[in-house]
Amino acid sequence: MGGTQVTKRNPTSFLKEEYQDLVNKNLDWKLRILESPSTPHATVDGKKVLMLCSNNYLNLSNHPRLIKASMEAAKKYGAGSGSVRAIAGTMEIHTKVEKKLASFKRTESALLYQTGFAANAGLIPQLVGEGDVVISDELNHGSIIDGVRLTKADRAIFKHRDMGDLEKVLSDADKKYRRILIITDGVFSMDGDIAPMDQIVKLANKYGAMTYVDDAHGEGVIGPEGRGIGAHFHIEGKIDIEMGTFSKAYGVVGGLIAGSQDLVNFAYNKSRTWLLSGSHPPAVSGAQLAAIEVLETEPQHVKKLWDNTKYFKKELNSMGFNTGNSESPITPVMVGDSGKAKELSNKLFEDGIFALPIVFPMVARDKARIRVMMNAGLTQKDLDFALGSFEKLGKQLSII
Amino acid sequence: MTVTIGFIVNPIAGMGGKVGLKGTDGVLSEAIHRGAKPLAFQKAEDMLKELKTLHPTFDQIQWITCAGDMGANELTRAGITTFTITYTPQNEPTTSDDTKKACAHFLKSKIDLLVFCGGDGTTRDIVEVVQKRIPLLGIPSGVKMHSGVFAVNIKATAQMLHLFLSQSLTLGDVDIMDVDEERYRKGEWKVKLFGVAKGIVDPTYIQVGKATYESVSEDAVKDELAEHIKDEMNKQKDSLFFLGSGGTLEHIAHKLGLQKTVLGIDAVYQHKLVGTDLNEQQILELLKKYQKVTLVLSPIGAQGFILGRGNLQLSPQVINKIGIDNIIIVATPSKLVNTPLLRVDTGDTRLDQTFRDKEFFMVVIGYRLSRVVRIQTNNF
Repeated sequence: MGGTQVTKRNPTSFLKEEYQDLVNKNLDWKLRILESPSTPHATVDGKKVLMLCSNNYLNLSNHPRLIKASMEAAKKYGAGSGSVRAIAGTMEIHTKVEKKLASFKRTESALLYQTGFAANAGLIPQLVGEGDVVISDELNHGSIIDGVRLTKADRAIFKHRDMGDLEKVLSDADKKYRRILIITDGVFSMDGDIAPMDQIVKLANKYGAMTYVDDAHGEGVIGPEGRGIGAHFHIEGKIDIEMGTFSKAYGVVGGLIAGSQDLVNFAYNKSRTWLLSGSHPPAVSGAQLAAIEVLETEPQHVKKLWDNTKYFKKELNSMGFNTGNSESPITPVMVGDSGKAKELSNKLFEDGIFALPIVFPMVARDKARIRVMMNAGLTQKDLDFALGSFEKLGKQLSII
Repeated sequence: MTVTIGFIVNPIAGMGGKVGLKGTDGVLSEAIHRGAKPLAFQKAEDMLKELKTLHPTFDQIQWITCAGDMGANELTRAGITTFTITYTPQNEPTTSDDTKKACAHFLKSKIDLLVFCGGDGTTRDIVEVVQKRIPLLGIPSGVKMHSGVFAVNIKATAQMLHLFLSQSLTLGDVDIMDVDEERYRKGEWKVKLFGVAKGIVDPTYIQVGKATYESVSEDAVKDELAEHIKDEMNKQKDSLFFLGSGGTLEHIAHKLGLQKTVLGIDAVYQHKLVGTDLNEQQILELLKKYQKVTLVLSPIGAQGFILGRGNLQLSPQVINKIGIDNIIIVATPSKLVNTPLLRVDTGDTRLDQTFRDKEFFMVVIGYRLSRVVRIQTNNF
């Protein structure tokens, strides 16, 4: 052998090129490193900041009961599960979480997924296929959209939270399709408004459609004890698929679905993401179990989250800020222009406040905003500090 | 990057409107007699001033224009001191011939965008010469503005131009309408599709990362629509498909390998053209021959008309025979941004009522992707 081998093409040059393209367009993620626990007072890139962009709504990731339960589960069951759930990775602690979750959400059954994304990407394509239709709110979250992309079903979009529009799609779909799946976010992540799930269920029943809600931002936040959107509208057990996540208010990680036993049996036998990924380490499930127990027995966290939310929004509004149509702790501080929203976010960071801008095309051109995520761990002093900064910078940038 | 903008004003545009003449074509002296005052120059100037406040690199724009009130005066009054004059009008007052000649001169220069101030008549004159070779943006100043090159008002025009110059908007096909002013003045709507030009459109975005989006070209979206229609044709093998007029359907047909006319209604059976540029009579003949029929339409012009403007061949008799449940509407999402309603004006009260009762169409906006769009049947 010998001689110089001629390379047909550079097989990996695109990695650098495409990344560089993102950098040039300022679209790359500049990862900020958290050097402390995700607490309201955190250290980010060496700077002490007030954290206003985490989804750790109830500050449960730092709750002593969760930390203790996590450590105990690791001691009892080890660091990993050793397998996928379907083969040898279903541990007693996983089933305990699922039982607890079903009882908490007042549904017949529940199932853990590795992540919320895995739940959407694994389950949605099994629920519908060729000859079916997925009816989707126009502002649904990316992971729903990806789940829907994996199906062979037709897709129909209705105007955000518009029940008249939804009924029109349903009446049209009723004549044409085998199965109809209505899918919506519970709490919409950009605006903080809530899907009218009671009306959606009513319409679904009228037309024989399935209902699927992604309640990632509602779990642990809305409804009595933070039991989510079903409890919020007093329709527990009536939504066919309540999907959620342990990574936000619950303070841990992992996806979940809650519904009938038939749903759970179907889901774990058919979802490829579930069947082909390793199960959660016991420490994770220990913390998941403890998180639900905390919600059941310590109502003060959810109450504090809402007290903070109401106070923060009221004060922002009285300063002249527009906080949109939010009905949840997701508080959009409307700025309008994308450049201005980025500038405000940078200036807030200089002041020691970590809050991210949401800009076009994530939202409409004139609807750029800072998205503030409220947290039960914020004190009155913290909120006043943040408000002071918003007022000062809002005036400086002629937003208020 | 330096941008070169061609700038032309039709000084008499809109003069007929204020004195109730529904247009100025051919009736200028009557308009003047009735006391009409020129208003285009003010609108052009206002738009330029608005753009100046919006666009940070306004001073770097290169302007190519016409002498006098056809552009140079308006640019000067807006504080622009450097520009090139490419054409001097030969008539006083200026005529459509001046507009066309100026456009012929613009074609010789390297122009990124032609901004003009006028109405549908001016647009028609410009498109006749430049066709799709220079993208257009109209400052609305005419009596009638049905063509897709106009923003809704002066402020919106400046905003659109600013976003285009900032590369936030893109180029796409827009429909140019032709109104028979003579008949329009008598209260008759005779609007035809005149042609397709390049205009400024809002791109369609898809989410590619958590917070990153990519804009998809108009052509890519239309390719998807073509795939959808191909599937429909495969599913309904024994159905005759009528394809409506306009740029969207022209693109779809070409993608399917069919040489469709842009302005006409064409018929396709089992993936082959069986009739082009059909008139009402020919359509009715085909309807006798084929049992199953599907009509594919796309909104035409700036106001979102699917029937009653630009496709008068699709008469009430034709639509009644086809049946409104056999109509498929396709549109790119960016088109729906500007035309969020589907307008119908068939001229037949009973048929209009049928559309009113239907209330909405599920408009196909991508491959097997549709959304609800409401129907409006009232005249405006």
